[in-house]
Amino acid sequence: MDRFIETLQRPDFIENLIIHIEYTVLATLIGLLVAIPVAVLVNRSDAASTFAINVGNIGRAVPSLAVLVLMFPVFGLGFDSVLFALTLLAIPPILINAVVGLRQVSAQILDSAKGMGLSGRQVLTGIQIPIAAPIIFAGIRTSAVQVVASATLATFIGGGALGDYIVEGFQRNDTAISLAGAFSVAVLAVITELGFAALERTFTPKGLRIAQKRGRATK
Amino acid sequence: MTGERVKNKTMFIRAVTAMLITALVFVAAACGGGGGGSSSDGPSITVSSKKFTEQILLGEMYAQAFEDEGYNVERKLDLGSEQVMDKSLQDGTIDVYPEYTGTAYVAILKKPPESYPKSAEETYRQVAKFYKNRKDTPMQMLEPAPFENNYGIVMLSKEANERGIENLDDLAAQSDELVFSSYSEFQNRSDGYKNMQDSYPELDFKDIKIVNDLGIRYKALAEGEADVGIGFTTDGQLASPELKVIEDNKDIWPKYYPAPVITQEFLDKNPDAKKILNEVSASLDADKMRELNGAVDLEQEDPEDVAQGHLEDAGIIE
Repeated sequence: MDRFIETLQRPDFIENLIIHIEYTVLATLIGLLVAIPVAVLVNRSDAASTFAINVGNIGRAVPSLAVLVLMFPVFGLGFDSVLFALTLLAIPPILINAVVGLRQVSAQILDSAKGMGLSGRQVLTGIQIPIAAPIIFAGIRTSAVQVVASATLATFIGGGALGDYIVEGFQRNDTAISLAGAFSVAVLAVITELGFAALERTFTPKGLRIAQKRGRATK
Repeated sequence: MTGERVKNKTMFIRAVTAMLITALVFVAAACGGGGGGSSSDGPSITVSSKKFTEQILLGEMYAQAFEDEGYNVERKLDLGSEQVMDKSLQDGTIDVYPEYTGTAYVAILKKPPESYPKSAEETYRQVAKFYKNRKDTPMQMLEPAPFENNYGIVMLSKEANERGIENLDDLAAQSDELVFSSYSEFQNRSDGYKNMQDSYPELDFKDIKIVNDLGIRYKALAEGEADVGIGFTTDGQLASPELKVIEDNKDIWPKYYPAPVITQEFLDKNPDAKKILNEVSASLDADKMRELNGAVDLEQEDPEDVAQGHLEDAGIIE
């Protein structure tokens, strides 16, 4: 227990914690900036959507550690390599959820929107995106939590972050040090999860929320 | 309708057959794995090792040498840290594993850096004495192999030669211009970086990057991402003339010679075990060990084959 507290009080702990948060925020944000426009672009075509989902699924299967090692000759040690690998990791869940979310908006709704004279752009921003918002947010949330967990790999390539303690404890056979690292990562993951759950609620359109509640009540 | 039914029946039979075959394969695999040598009626021994390439290779060599002498060998390689290994020896889960004289001195005898013996012989003498006089489970550390696996402070030969760096004093003097890539454990344990700084007070690197992967530390040197790295003197990578180990001219680390640690009980029952293990140790040296480690780490060869190849070359097994 002493070693656990001692590790949390080390001067480099805050530094590594901040780097860990930085990785998470940046990777998720860049992932978002890449995935959402792609999802919107492929939205019109069935083939393109299927393609995007499959590429996303392949992306999920590639181990982040492998990407880290592959990126090393390009970006060198540390921050850039790690951020690149984590961004690649962040894209698939956002992309898949956004594509699926936009496409599952029912054809009747889209038809009536068009019937009311809304332009394609208006249908997208006014109807499709708001209805898909909960699903899109679920994707972002999955990404962010995954990135929090995977940022621990930064330690293998000189990127710092909380993985340093997990590996140090392992190397020195001192579970308390590993636990200090793992515990902090777990706390970060829970905070991320809760934070996005709150965001998800905020961004779910009011009408949809009421509909969801009614749906639950009638069941 | 009947045709349909016959088809269904055939499919059912096929499915059951497939399942049975799968089950059979699993059972066969389990038997093969568990009781590989159960046909022979020689004495049984459990050989173990810690979790890195050189340890697995040494453990595999011990195992094959014993098998060659008719022993039934159970392998528990890739097991854990020295504490785990030591405990397993004490409670009889394992009979033998390779340990380094210096590691035993620091981690099992728990001696501080100030007390490190200056010679390899003295380190071995003290550690062997400790094992022999253990109250609960007396053990023996047999003759060490004639090579050392110590910390290796490494630079590209080219850069080291240009800067005229031969030993750690030279390195310390120029360290404010150099980037050091290290790993967490070394930076934080008492015999690691702190010990290095205390012994070479001029040491003050421009930057220290924590890279917790040995292979990437070597790559970082090759790519010029770092000027100085740390590895171990028997790493396969060091077989290359492009890398140079900087001499520790003040002898700040204990001597890490690998030797089998075996329980006294087992030795009493099987007096020939000592000769078998000593033969394996004597067949190795630093260059050989680098080559074997490199075959596994760099060429991705199977440790079992690498160990076998060496033992055959050395004439220990047929």
